[in-house]
Amino acid sequence: MKMLEMHNICRKLRKYNWKNYILYMICSFMALLLITAYSAMMFSPTVLTVLPEGGDSRKQMIAVFVLSCFGCIVFTVYAASLFYRTKARETGLFIALGTPRRTLKKSLLTEVLLMGGCSSIAGTALGIPFAFCIWKIFQLFVKSSEMTLYFDLRCLFVSLIFLIVSSFLIFLLGLRFLKRANVMDIINEAHKSEPVRNVKSWYGYAGILLLLAGAVLGYGKSNFFIQVLHQYPPAWTNLLYAPIFIGLYMILLHTVVHGWGLKKKTYKGLIARSMMKFQGKQTVNNMLVITVLIAGGCFAIFYLPMIWISSSMESSSRTNSYIYHYRQDQELPTRQEIEELAGKHGLTIKDWSSAPFINLGTDGQEMIEEENGKFHYEYTSLLNEANFFSESNFEKLTGLSVDIPSGIYCAVTNKEEMHSSTLRSNITKLTNMVTEKELEVVFGDYIHYDDLSGIISYYVLDDQDYAQISQGLTHEWQETMIFFNPEGADSFSFADELFNRIVDSTDSGCEIPEYYDRVAKIAANKNQEIYWGDTEDMTGISFDQRDSSEFRLYWKYMPLFRSLDQQDFVNTFAVFLMMFLFIAIICMMAAMIIGYTRCITISINNRYVFEDLKRLGASPRFLLKEVKRQASKVFSVPAAVGLSIMYLLYGMIMFANDGRITSSEIYGLLGCLAMLAVFAAIIWLVYRFTLKKMFRVLNL
Amino acid sequence: MLYVNNLHKSYRVGMNNYEVLKGVTFSVSQGEFIAVMGPSGSGKSTLLNCISCYIPFDEGKITLGGQELSDLTEEKLARVRNEKLGFVFQDFMLLDGLTVRENILLPRIIKGRVGKEGESLADQLLKLFSIQHIQDKFPADISGGERQRTAIARALINSPLLILADEPTGNLDSKSSRTVINAFCEARDTLGATVFMVTHDSFSASFCDRVILLADGVVREVLERKSERAKFHDDLLNKIKEMSGDENVGNA
Repeated sequence: MKMLEMHNICRKLRKYNWKNYILYMICSFMALLLITAYSAMMFSPTVLTVLPEGGDSRKQMIAVFVLSCFGCIVFTVYAASLFYRTKARETGLFIALGTPRRTLKKSLLTEVLLMGGCSSIAGTALGIPFAFCIWKIFQLFVKSSEMTLYFDLRCLFVSLIFLIVSSFLIFLLGLRFLKRANVMDIINEAHKSEPVRNVKSWYGYAGILLLLAGAVLGYGKSNFFIQVLHQYPPAWTNLLYAPIFIGLYMILLHTVVHGWGLKKKTYKGLIARSMMKFQGKQTVNNMLVITVLIAGGCFAIFYLPMIWISSSMESSSRTNSYIYHYRQDQELPTRQEIEELAGKHGLTIKDWSSAPFINLGTDGQEMIEEENGKFHYEYTSLLNEANFFSESNFEKLTGLSVDIPSGIYCAVTNKEEMHSSTLRSNITKLTNMVTEKELEVVFGDYIHYDDLSGIISYYVLDDQDYAQISQGLTHEWQETMIFFNPEGADSFSFADELFNRIVDSTDSGCEIPEYYDRVAKIAANKNQEIYWGDTEDMTGISFDQRDSSEFRLYWKYMPLFRSLDQQDFVNTFAVFLMMFLFIAIICMMAAMIIGYTRCITISINNRYVFEDLKRLGASPRFLLKEVKRQASKVFSVPAAVGLSIMYLLYGMIMFANDGRITSSEIYGLLGCLAMLAVFAAIIWLVYRFTLKKMFRVLNL
Repeated sequence: MLYVNNLHKSYRVGMNNYEVLKGVTFSVSQGEFIAVMGPSGSGKSTLLNCISCYIPFDEGKITLGGQELSDLTEEKLARVRNEKLGFVFQDFMLLDGLTVRENILLPRIIKGRVGKEGESLADQLLKLFSIQHIQDKFPADISGGERQRTAIARALINSPLLILADEPTGNLDSKSSRTVINAFCEARDTLGATVFMVTHDSFSASFCDRVILLADGVVREVLERKSERAKFHDDLLNKIKEMSGDENVGNA
C-alpha cells in the first residue's frame, strides 16, 4: 500500500478537484498573455517610433494599457478568491481535524503561487508569439516598411511587475482567508453571500449626474487651467475624472439592486434579482471593470473609423486631384516633364494651375513658460512663419474672386471652417525676412476653399500690400503652388512616381517637418537661444523614409495626391491602426473573460438554489429564463453603459475640439456606430457561449 | 473530563448584538454519551462550535482533560483538535477525492503518524461499524448512513477524549440514523469513547446517558436516563412539550 502522507493526500485531492484549479490557471495565463502581448506591442521600437512621444495617440495607448492592467489584476485576484472559496471546505476540515494553520498556510500559498506562477510564465512565454501572430496577420494586409517586426524584450519587465503585484495581492488574500478565527466561517465560505444593502432609490440618478460631472470636469479642466489660470493642469487634476467611476459604480449598483423598470413591485424576475442582490458586491465590482474595459476598447477602436473617414473625406472633398507646393529655390519637375510622366502612365493632365506665394514673419503673443508650470504671454514682433498669396494670384489659382482692401488679410479655410482654430486672426504686423521691412495688417475674414485648408495655413493679402512686402524676398522665402487633374481615371503609379520625383528633386534644406518654423528659429537665434526645432525634441523626418507615416503626415512640402492618399492610407497609418486594433482586442478579451468567469461563479454559487427551485416544481423553461436574466445583466448592462458612454464621450470630444461637429465627424461617428454594432455582436456571442456553459454547470 | 463554566457567546449582525449563549455551565464525565437538545436558535450548535474552538467565545471557561482551551495558542489548539477531539458533522464533511479508508485515516495523516498501529485501528473501526466492504470506495459511491459511519470512524481514529457530533442524524433516514446512533453506542461501549451530541431528534437522544435541554441560551434542565430507553424517550418528549408551552403534558 502506498505510504499515506500529507503530500500524497494533497496530490490526490488536487487530482480529484482539478476543475477548481483550471479557472484560476486560465485567468492567470490569460492575464499574463494579454499584458505581455500588449506591452510587447507598446514597447516595440516600431510603435514607439511611430506614435510620437507626448502625442495623444501615445497617451491613449498608455491610458488603455493602465486600464487593461487594472482589469487583468481584478480578474486574476478574483479568480484566486474563487479558488480559495472552492478550497474552503477542504481547508476548514483540515483545520477542524487539527492541521496547524502554519502548515496549511505554507501548503495553500505554495500551491496557489506555484499554480499562478506556472500559468503566468506560460502566459508570458506565449504573449510575445501572440503579439507576433497579430502583427503577422496585419502584415498580410499591409505592406509598409514601418511594419518591420521588432520587439524589445524589456517589455517582459512589465509582465514581471504585473506578476509580482498580482502574486502579492493573491498572497494577502490567502493570508486573510486563513487568518479567520472562526473555522465555521472558512468551512461555509463557499455558501457565503455578499449582499448589497442600503442602496437608495436615487443611487442610479445620482450616478448619472456624477458620471456627467466627472466627464465635464475631467475634460474641461485643461481649458480652465490653460485659459483662465495660464498654467498647465497639475497631475492631481486627473482625479477630477474620479466621479466617472463612482457614478458608474452607483449606476451598476442601482441596476443590480433595483433595476430601471417603472414597476418596482413586480414579481417578474424576482428570483434572478434577489440572487444577483446577494452576490451583489462582487458582481457590481466585476461589472464595473467590464464596463471600463469595454469603454476602453471602444475608445481604441473608434480611432479606426474616425481617421479613415476623416482622411478619405478630406481627400475626396478636394477639387484638384494633385496639389503640391515647393520652394522656388528648388529644381522640381517642370509642367512638361510632368505631362510626359503622365503620358508614360497613360494619363493626360488638365486644369493645370499654378501660383506663387510668399513666406513672411508674423507678430503675436508668445507663450513664455515659467518654472512652476505656469506660463504667460509676451508680445513679439517675430513669432511665426506664415504663407501669403496675393489676391490676384489666389484668384488665378482657385478661380475664386476675392477683393481684399489694403491693410487687411484673410485666412483660407474649408466650407465648414474646420481648421479655423489653427488659423490666426490676431496678426498685426508682417515682416519680410530678407529686407526686414514691415507691414501693419488687420484680420478681415475667412475665405472658403477646401484645397488650401489643412494643417498648413494660407492667408491672402491685397495685391498692393503683397507687392510692397514681397519686394526683395529671395527664392528661399517664395513658393509655388501647383494644382492639376488627370483626364479620366487616375493612376496610382503616376502619383507614386511623381511623389518620388518631387522628393528626389528637393534638397536637404527642405527636409523639415511642417511645424519647423524658420521665423521662430531666427527669433530664437537673435535672442541667442537654441530653436527647439533644432533640438532632439523635434521629431525628425527623412527623405530616406519617405514611405513612413512620419514623413507622409508631417513633411512640410508633402504633396496631396488623392490616389496616393487613398491607396496608401492603410500603409501610412498601419502602425496606428494595428496598435489601436490590438488595444481594442485586448480590452474586449479581458472584459469577456471577466464576464464569463463571473457568470460561471454565479451558477456555481447558486447551484443549490436551482436544485431547490427544481424541487419546488420550476419548469426547465422557467429555470432557463432565470439563468438568462442573471447572465444577461452581467453582459448587457456593462455593454450598454460602456458602449453608450464612450460613444457620447467621443461625440463630446469631437464637439469640444472646435465647438461643433463637422460633417466628417458625423460620418466618423456613424462609422463608430458600426464598430459598436460589431462589439455588441461579439459580446452577444460570448454571452450565448457563457449561457450554454452555465446551463451545463446547472444541469439544465 | 469536560467542564463548561459560565459560557457566553454573542454574534454581531450589523448594528445589533445577539447573545446566543448566556452563561452555560455543565460537565461531562469520561465514557458518557450526552445529547444537547433544544429548539432552533437555542444555541446548541454554537455551544458545540465553542467547545471545539471553531468559533471564539466571549466569556467563560472550557476545560478538557484538565486543559483550559481558551488559553491555548493556535499550534496547541491544533494538537488538541487532532488528538483530544473527534468531530462528526451533519453533512459528514468527508473529502470526496479520498477513499473511505483514507478519510478515516486523515487525522492520523495530519498527525504525521499512520503506521501499523493506525492501519490496524482503521481495520478495527471499519469492522466495528461494518464498513470494511466499502473501504476503497469514494464518498460519492456510498450511502448517507455509511458516510456518517465513516465520519464517526474518522473521529475515533486518534482515540480522542471527546467526540463532538453536530446533528449527526440530521441528513439521514430513520434506518441510517439508527445505525449511526448504534455506532456511537458501540464506540462508547467498546472503546470507552465519550460522545457529546447535538440533536433535534428525541429518538436519537433517548440512547444517551444524559440529555441537556437548552433554551434561549441557558441550560433549562439536565435529564438523566435511569430507566429503559423507551421510557426515557417518553420523558424527553414530555419535557420538550413542556418547554414549548404545551399545557396538556401529563394528561396524555
